[in-house]
Amino acid sequence: MIVRPVHVTDLPALLNLVHQAGPGFTTLPANEERLAHRVRWAQRTFAEQVERADADYLFVLEDDDQQLVGVSALVGAVGLREPWYNYRVGLTVSSSPDLGIRRQIPTLFLNNEMTGQSEICSLFLRPDQRQGSNGRLLSLGRLLFVAEFPHLFGDKLIAELRGSADEQGCSPFWDSLGRHFFKMDFSHADHLSGLGSKSFIAELMPRQPLYTCLLTEQAQAVIGKAHPNTEPALKILTAEGFAHKGYIDIFDAGPVIEAPVSNIRTVRDSQPLVLAIGTPDEEAPVWLIHNRRLENCRITAAQARQVGNSLIVDRLTAKRLQLQPGNSVRAVPLLNQQPQAVAA
Amino acid sequence: MLVLRPVELTDLPQLQQLARDSLVGVTSLPDDTECLREKILDSCASFEKNVEGHGPENYFFVLEDLTRERLVGCSEILATAGFSEPFYSLRNRHFTSASRELNIEHGVPALSLCHDLSGHTLLRGFHIDAALVRTRFSELLSRARLLFIAAHSQRFSEAVITEIVGFSSDEGHSPFWDAVGKHFFDLPYVEAERLCGLESRTFLAELMPQYPIYVPMLPQAAQDCIGRIHPDGQEAFDILEREGFETNSYIDLFDGGPTLYARTPGIRSIAQSQTGTAKPGASIDARGSYLVSNDSLKDYRAIVADLDYQAGQPVGLSAEMCAALNVTEGSPIRLIAL
Repeated sequence: MIVRPVHVTDLPALLNLVHQAGPGFTTLPANEERLAHRVRWAQRTFAEQVERADADYLFVLEDDDQQLVGVSALVGAVGLREPWYNYRVGLTVSSSPDLGIRRQIPTLFLNNEMTGQSEICSLFLRPDQRQGSNGRLLSLGRLLFVAEFPHLFGDKLIAELRGSADEQGCSPFWDSLGRHFFKMDFSHADHLSGLGSKSFIAELMPRQPLYTCLLTEQAQAVIGKAHPNTEPALKILTAEGFAHKGYIDIFDAGPVIEAPVSNIRTVRDSQPLVLAIGTPDEEAPVWLIHNRRLENCRITAAQARQVGNSLIVDRLTAKRLQLQPGNSVRAVPLLNQQPQAVAA
Repeated sequence: MLVLRPVELTDLPQLQQLARDSLVGVTSLPDDTECLREKILDSCASFEKNVEGHGPENYFFVLEDLTRERLVGCSEILATAGFSEPFYSLRNRHFTSASRELNIEHGVPALSLCHDLSGHTLLRGFHIDAALVRTRFSELLSRARLLFIAAHSQRFSEAVITEIVGFSSDEGHSPFWDAVGKHFFDLPYVEAERLCGLESRTFLAELMPQYPIYVPMLPQAAQDCIGRIHPDGQEAFDILEREGFETNSYIDLFDGGPTLYARTPGIRSIAQSQTGTAKPGASIDARGSYLVSNDSLKDYRAIVADLDYQAGQPVGLSAEMCAALNVTEGSPIRLIAL
C-alpha cells in the first residue's frame, strides 16, 4: 500500500470509490464534474502552481495492484478566500448575588478563529480494507507530508468531525437552529456545503451569540459530539495530539479538533534518515515512511529498523517509495512507542 | 356613588387587600405593607410637587365606594418609564437572513432586550374588584387617568404606553417564562413577578439575556404567548384599544404580554374631552353617560354620571355628584362621553 497524490487518470476509480462512501461524505460529492475539477486542482497543487489559500492536496491509497482503496485530503488554508465559520462553545454567567442566583449558560459564539489554519478532511477507506495499518497510513501520511513541507501549511491542523445525526441523516442540532434560518433540511444544506457554498450558508446565520439553553434538549446533547462513524478517526488523531478546544461545526455541532503542527506526534517524532535495504527482523516496528518528494510524493507503512541514521527496509518497500538505497526518507514509527505522558 | 381620587395613607389597609387579590402580572401592586406605604407616600409627594416637565412622579389613584366606604379598585400613572430605574422590554423584530448567491431571503423574528420605551408615560397597576369587571366603573378607573393627563399635560410625556398582563395558567405557569426567563432567572414565574413588584429590580439587569432570542427556536406554547393577553387582562386592553392605543413590536420580558402605545394628543379621552363649568342642580333630561373630572391636581376627582350636557353650556350636576367631585357652582370640570 502507498499513499500518493491523486492523478487525473484516477478519476474513474475515484468516482467509484466515492460512490461507495455514500451521501454522508459531503466534502467529496459523487459528482463527476466537480470531482474532476478537484482532482485537476489537486494536481496543480502538488505541482506548486497554486497559492496556499487555494491549495488542496488530495491523496489516494493504492495497493500493489494499482487499485484505489482510499482517499484523504489536506487543505492548505481555510478561510483565506471566503470566510470560515465555527461556533465556539463559551460561557455566559448570569448572577445576582442579592438573590443568590447564579446560572452558567453555555453560549455559542460565531467566529472565524480557524482562518489560515490547514485542514485535514475527506478521508474514506473502502470497508474491506479497514485492517492492519491502512487507516493510519491514509490518515497519518498527511501529517508526515506536513512534517516534510511545514512552510506550505498553517500553524495548526484542524479536522471537522461529522456531528451526530440519525439514520435518516437528520441532525438534531440543525433542526433546532440552522433550519430556522435557512428554511431547508440538513441534507440539502449539507449538500450545498459540499458544493462549496458553505460560507454563503453561514452568512444566513445570526451573528449574535446564541444561548444553548434555548436549543432543544436533543440539540444541546449533541454539541461537540462526533458521529459514531468518526470514532476510529477521532481515536487516531487524539493519539497524535489533536484535541477539542471548544470549536464546533455551525451546522451539525460536530467537534473541530485541532493541534499545533509542531506538537503533532508524527511531525515531532519524524526524522530524516538514509534508506538502506536489508532485512528488518520480524519484531521490527512498523514505520511510516515518506520519500520526501512533493509532486512525486509516496508514503508507505512498513516494518523497518533504525540503525544510527539509517533506516533498514526490505526491497519491496524501497520499490514502493520509488527510492534507491542511500536516498533520504522522512520516517516515524507508525505507533507512538513512548508511554503517554501523564498530566501532572 | 363611586369616585376616583388620589390615594391617601389611610387607604393602606384596604389597598393591601386589593393588592392581595390582584393578578400576578400586575407587578406594580405588591402585597407588601412597607412597599405599599412607600408607594402611597411617593404618590402623595408627586401630587404635591410643582413640576415643569415629566420626571419620576407616580400618580396613584383609588376607586372608592362612598356609600360603603370601601376601596374597589386602583390604577396608576408613572410620568416617565425608565426615569429612576431602567424600563426593560423585549423588542420583537425580524432578523433578516439573506444570501444572494443562494437566492434566499427571509426574516426570522428575534426578541432583543431594550430600553426603547423609556421616557414614555406608563399606565399601570390597573386592578378592579371582581364584581365591577366590565362595568362602566372599569372605564372610570382606567380612563380617568387619561382625563388627568389631559388636565395636566405638562406633567406627562408625548406618548403613553401600557403593558397588558400576558398569559399564565390558573396554576401560575407562564409558558413564555418557562421557555425564556426561567433559564436565566432560575425562579418560578410567580416569584419573579413578586420580586419585580418589590422594585429590587437590579436583579433584572444582572440576569437578563443580553443576546437576541430567536422566536422559532422557542417551543410552540411559548411562541403562542407572544402578544397573548391574560383573560383577566382583556378588559384593560379593550378599554385602551378603544382609546386609540395600538400594539407594537414590544412585549413584556416575563410573560410575553403585549404593549399598547399611543401618542398622547391623539388619545380619544384627551383629544375629545370637553371642559366646562359646574352648575349644581339635577339634570332633568339625563340622556348621556359621561366620565366627569374636576381637573384638579391633588384634589383630583372623577366619577361616572348621567347628564344632560350641551356643549358650551354649564354642566348640571346633582348635589351628590358635586359632593363627590368636590366642586361648586362655576368650578371647572372636564367630561367625555362614556
